[in-house]
Amino acid sequence: MTDPRPPAPISDYGLLGDTRTAALVSGDGAIDWLCVPRFDGEPVFGRLVGGPAAGTFRVGPVPPAPVVQRRYRQDTATIETTWEVDGRRLTLTESMVAEITGRLLPTTLLVRRLSAEGGTVGAVVEFDPRLGARHRRPRLHRRGNALVCQWGALAVSLDCTPGVTVEPGRTTPVEVVPGRPLTLVLAVADREPLIHVEPEAAWELVLGDEARWRAWTAGIHGSLPFREAVVRSLLTLRLLTYSPSQAPVAAPTMSLPEDPGGVRNWDYRYVWPRDASIGVNAFLGVGKLDEAHGFLAWLLHASRLERPRLPALFTLTGRHVPRERELPGWPGYLGSVPVRTGNGAAGQHQLDGYGWVVDAAWVFVQAGHRLYSETWRAVRGFADVVAGRWGEPDAGIWEVREPGHHVHSKLMGWLALDRALRIGDTHPLPDRQRRRWQEARDAIADEVRTRGFDPAQSSYVRSYGAPDLDSAVLVLPLLGLDDVASARVRGTVDAIRERLSAGGPLLYRYPPGRDGLPGPENAFLPCSFWLVQALASTGRRREAEELFRELLDHASPLGLYAEELDPATGAHLGNYPQTLTHAALVQAALAIRDSPDPGDGGGPV
Amino acid sequence: MDWAGWAVFGLVATAALTAAMIIAQMAGLTRLDLPLVLGTLVTEDPDRARVVGFFIHLLSGQGFALGYAVAFALLHRATWWLGALFGGLHVAIALTVILPLLPGVHPRMASLRAGPSSTAVLEPPGLFALNYGVQTPAVTAVVHVIYGVVLGLLLRTPS
Repeated sequence: MTDPRPPAPISDYGLLGDTRTAALVSGDGAIDWLCVPRFDGEPVFGRLVGGPAAGTFRVGPVPPAPVVQRRYRQDTATIETTWEVDGRRLTLTESMVAEITGRLLPTTLLVRRLSAEGGTVGAVVEFDPRLGARHRRPRLHRRGNALVCQWGALAVSLDCTPGVTVEPGRTTPVEVVPGRPLTLVLAVADREPLIHVEPEAAWELVLGDEARWRAWTAGIHGSLPFREAVVRSLLTLRLLTYSPSQAPVAAPTMSLPEDPGGVRNWDYRYVWPRDASIGVNAFLGVGKLDEAHGFLAWLLHASRLERPRLPALFTLTGRHVPRERELPGWPGYLGSVPVRTGNGAAGQHQLDGYGWVVDAAWVFVQAGHRLYSETWRAVRGFADVVAGRWGEPDAGIWEVREPGHHVHSKLMGWLALDRALRIGDTHPLPDRQRRRWQEARDAIADEVRTRGFDPAQSSYVRSYGAPDLDSAVLVLPLLGLDDVASARVRGTVDAIRERLSAGGPLLYRYPPGRDGLPGPENAFLPCSFWLVQALASTGRRREAEELFRELLDHASPLGLYAEELDPATGAHLGNYPQTLTHAALVQAALAIRDSPDPGDGGGPV
Repeated sequence: MDWAGWAVFGLVATAALTAAMIIAQMAGLTRLDLPLVLGTLVTEDPDRARVVGFFIHLLSGQGFALGYAVAFALLHRATWWLGALFGGLHVAIALTVILPLLPGVHPRMASLRAGPSSTAVLEPPGLFALNYGVQTPAVTAVVHVIYGVVLGLLLRTPS
């Protein structure tokens, strides 16, 4: 069956979030993705990858109506979309209330308000909640003005003022009169009674939430380069942080394709240690100590169960990620099947993870904080694992199916030991352990310099004995393994920039087609921001700024980024929005801030 | 009358009921959260309400246990099946009288008769507490029967 309303381009979607779960809303006012009660819960609106049978919640004009303006309200998480309808204007203002501590409110509260200007405007409400893999329809009840949808212990209520009788699965026409906005309130209850909020009270909560976001962003220094984009990225990172555990989810979606129509469809509603680590750097760099501490605390809490081994990814609460499985019957985004839930990478050995985590602890120590003895014990355990296992092949940062000796992984292993040794200068560390780490660190350095460097290309390579390059190696200037001014570092940065270029500021992770999966490879956005960071860190600030500006041109209209871009069309691809990309953007801006000013036009932007 | 038994085993039975209720709630069988419903009589903060509500529930459980102890004393017998029977009676009254009356006394519970100025927000349980899920009456019945059985087994009657 042909979908009468195929999903919008990925970049058309905006992110609404409450730091527990998130909704994706398209430019025509359709929430096509929302999992409850948290990011990795079951979708209640899953049309994005589940097709029409998976449910949606659309509020907007009867199509087609051109969008005349769409934006996040300044420094907030509220999206405002305005359509032009027969010379009149219809505006949808929507948000999820994030700050609910200490008040009797639903854990998830979504508020959507339609208002008209220039005359009465006809609009529609399409409310069709379906739950989970089988798109289960709810049991329906009406309680006063509210429509209550129940699936066992999960319930969703929709309240509306002025009163409109919304019928699930049907399109309900509404008239929006100037001065009399229509407010819809969606509340979610999981294993607890529903908590109703009057639409007007809900709107006040949204305004209060906006004030809190503005106060939060006001603390970010005004002289930060590219501040507007950085603030949007930091807000996005915060919205993608699961507040109860402080875990940064990699993305709120599953199986948005890296290759439309192809099989590269993964579930990203979990947490990768590297995202949390980069987040520590990003938040610490802009003075958000609480958030940085939250990420580090989560890293150490989540790893507790399997310590000193560090799994490649965790659930939001630090548990094992469910096994990967395919959802039969799900049509996928633009026919990209299979739609997968769970993630098979959870069982991989990824040496780089240890480097990311220990480096996060080091950054924290560098900022003048002392590690608790328990934290330091955990870090020592990670360093011990690296010292013992660095010689083994691993799946690497790109999670390839065939383990290998990845240079990036070895570099990150070196980083783990180097940073652990540095922390050991101010924290208790037995001499024997110190010597063991030093020996392993030096051995990694020797091996990487000999087996991981290709003199013919003047560059470090992807894996031992192969000529392929790897954009992940752009972390090299930040490590201290080689001098940032050395020919090896400069050669590597230049070679990657040239040979892995996907056009303009875009880079491939590695030469396309070299990962054992069918389908083409697209440009990987975090790599581009790592290139900016590498250029800034090696004193090439002007180049870094130019590249950064070009990358900003590729943001979605709301300033969001997916994981990948199609170099030919500029379309955003993969799960969206992506924590790693936004964290890398912030790091790149911080690297520009911290690099020497060239003096002529290289000042703050 | 087994006063010492009432004092100790009333708490044991209520704790067993509460634990079974919370397990059912965590297992996704019901949205009835008794500590939250009772605690929000006193405070608006849901996290504090659950703590306060737990103690209110313990106290009310002790009150009901007094009724069980008196009934056992009057009948001169206390057995598990008699306790289960009382548990059945208890849950019938709870589901048809006590819970449906709650919106009348609960300052933060919505009522169908509430006017536009109402600040009440908590979903009312409704008859048989069906608003909290279709399995709620069954779950509630089971946990109250457990409560009655515990008291029937542990309370003593005057010989």
